[in-house]
Amino acid sequence: MMRFLKHIVLFSVFASLPIALFLGLTAHLNTNIVFKKQGGHLYSRINEIPKFPKVDVLFVGSSHAYRGFDIRLFTKNGISSFNLGSSSQSPIQSLYVLEKYLDSIDCEKIVFEVSPQAFSSDGIESALDMISNDNMNWRTVKMGLEAQHMKVFNTLLYSAYRQFLNLDSNFSEEKTKGKDTYISGGFVERQQQEFRKSASTHYEIRQRQLAAFEKIVEVIKGRGIELILVQAPVTLAEYKMYESNEKFDALMSTYSVYYNFNKLITLSDSVHFYDSHHLNQYGVEVFNNALVDFITK
Amino acid sequence: MLFNSLEFAFFLPIVFCLYWLCNKNLKLQNGVLLLSSYYFYSCWDWRFLSLIILSTIVDYCIGLGLKNESHSISIRKLLLWISIGVNIGLLGFFKYYNFFIEQFTAAFTLFGTSFEGSTISIILPVGISFYTFQTLSYTIDVCRKKIEPTTNVLAFSAFVSFFPQLVAGPIERASNLLPQFIKKKQFDYTSAVDGMRQILWGLFKKMIIADNCAEIANTIFYSPADYSASTLVLGAVFFAFQIYGDFSGYSDIAIGTARLFGFNLMKNFSFPYFSRDIAEFWRRWHISLSTWFRDYVYIPLGGSKTSKAKQIRNVFIVFLVSGFWHGANWTFIIWGALNALFFLPLLLSKQNRTHLDTVAQGKLFPSVRELAAMTSTFLLTAIAWVFFRAESMSHAAEYFQYMFDWTLFTMPVLISKVSISTTLILLLIFVLIEWLGRENEYAIENIERLLNRFLRWCFYAIVIAAIIVFTPTEQNPFIYFQF
Repeated sequence: MMRFLKHIVLFSVFASLPIALFLGLTAHLNTNIVFKKQGGHLYSRINEIPKFPKVDVLFVGSSHAYRGFDIRLFTKNGISSFNLGSSSQSPIQSLYVLEKYLDSIDCEKIVFEVSPQAFSSDGIESALDMISNDNMNWRTVKMGLEAQHMKVFNTLLYSAYRQFLNLDSNFSEEKTKGKDTYISGGFVERQQQEFRKSASTHYEIRQRQLAAFEKIVEVIKGRGIELILVQAPVTLAEYKMYESNEKFDALMSTYSVYYNFNKLITLSDSVHFYDSHHLNQYGVEVFNNALVDFITK
Repeated sequence: MLFNSLEFAFFLPIVFCLYWLCNKNLKLQNGVLLLSSYYFYSCWDWRFLSLIILSTIVDYCIGLGLKNESHSISIRKLLLWISIGVNIGLLGFFKYYNFFIEQFTAAFTLFGTSFEGSTISIILPVGISFYTFQTLSYTIDVCRKKIEPTTNVLAFSAFVSFFPQLVAGPIERASNLLPQFIKKKQFDYTSAVDGMRQILWGLFKKMIIADNCAEIANTIFYSPADYSASTLVLGAVFFAFQIYGDFSGYSDIAIGTARLFGFNLMKNFSFPYFSRDIAEFWRRWHISLSTWFRDYVYIPLGGSKTSKAKQIRNVFIVFLVSGFWHGANWTFIIWGALNALFFLPLLLSKQNRTHLDTVAQGKLFPSVRELAAMTSTFLLTAIAWVFFRAESMSHAAEYFQYMFDWTLFTMPVLISKVSISTTLILLLIFVLIEWLGRENEYAIENIERLLNRFLRWCFYAIVIAAIIVFTPTEQNPFIYFQF
């Protein structure tokens, strides 16, 4: 028995080197560790927070938010805003960013982008995005550990190591990545491109996400901030992937003011979208102008 | 608590240490196993522990009843039927109640009358199909006087609820597993190392092969209308590897975990995709269930030592019941029927026991004939898996409708971000390792003899690193948990 335990310990020590080597060699595969600060410009967004200490509206949510709420269109209408959306942000991560940054951004209203997709998400993609781009503190570690996923643990360890050795001090994120351009204030604009249908999956709301969402509502209302829940438009086919849209609408309406823009505006797949989930700039304008009306009502 | 979860990574070492700390006292060891098994199960739903305990008490008492030599044959049969009634009754209620109500309602509606049965919301207790069959094997074997009934209630309870194989098998026979709870154990270093190695290989199969294939298979199966026929064929192939990696991976982890505690569980998979015909496939796939049906259904019905008509009937009964065992859905029944149809020609032409050895035994490469036989057998099973994977008959029909058209001869295309090339490379490596290790209990068993310690440890480290690198973001629960 002692021999067995001794060999387990010895193997653990021995294996750490080949494992680290293998991880390093396969870094380019980028499958199960996030080595780089990338994704939906979250690094730039977080670094801009000090520039926006007071705004009228703070946007929170997934790529539907940071690709869907163009702060320039709100500024034109006299509404100052900041977009704190991030890739696949689910309520668990929204709670994390709000708890971490709400003290730094004074806002009157929070527009929280909600969708069955976000509530069905396991939150892994978003957790990875947060951990690899954000400065780590105990909240980050807690959020990462709660994800209970190897890829998140790997990234957590790796990011902690980089932060500890201050390896990212010279890092600066490019404003334009491929077809995406970061606009100061958190919005990401996509160049015009032809509509391409993306793969859809089946959605099933997770209790963990709903619990996090309830906490968010509590936090926001506790601070006396007005909460507006918005479901951003997606293509009709995508919208129909979730079979209980009515139930979802009813559920959201119990928490705060809620607008489902899939029902409030009419959009065309080929004219207003660049894929099943995301609006092109023309679609963003239609959506945002309609939203401004609702916000200023 | 999944085998590939963080909880299990903490749970297993704790139970392992506690168990071997008590190695001077067998009762204490069985107590540790029983409590940890109950805890393991209650992590899903503690309420359903009552079903396991009920099954344990009923079958233990019936075992004692059958021990009494003064009982007449009719009383013995009555006791056996009580055991079958309770176990199958529980299984039937939790797994099949709604299915039968729906079928009765549909049938009555078809004939223009109404049926007042209403479905109820029932949670399917995890592993019920597995432990029910395990305990049934005990009472049947005791009744047949193949084994002696036990008077050791602690050992019996631990046998019924043994956590490594409680929720998804292998479905053990009392004759193999129960005596192991009664025999004092000494820690065996070689066996424990072998167990660890099998766990590692099981994790590789589950987390790399099954979960990566699942990403692609799920995408394709979700909307077959969006894909070309060749892509749908690819989807069926990926599902074939998903279910193999998933279930045989689970079995490997279960067998390996049991070995850490000094138990030997039966082999559940024996490289089924290297089979040269369907009969060989069924000797190598889910062996514990196939042999269960063989011993307790097929042979009592007369097996193959009866008239041709009865042989056909027996084969269909076994395959249909086996399909239905997997779930209350017509898709599983059709899957069973399809396999029966594949199997029957071999049985009727007495070719069903042609391939009892391992393909290309002692050789590095198979012959062209063997390769063709393996490929055709694999394709037949992959076609049948479509029914197994489909959520309904209409889903399966839709899949087949789009799978057989002119686009069958085009290149498969996936409209998603799923990386198909990485998965294909991983599959290729996996098949190669499985092929090289096909004459062993599990693929990497032989590594002990082939490599020195340094190289072995490097290999294990690389497998661990591969798991860390290639496990997909979206984790899938083990498929067989739903059965």
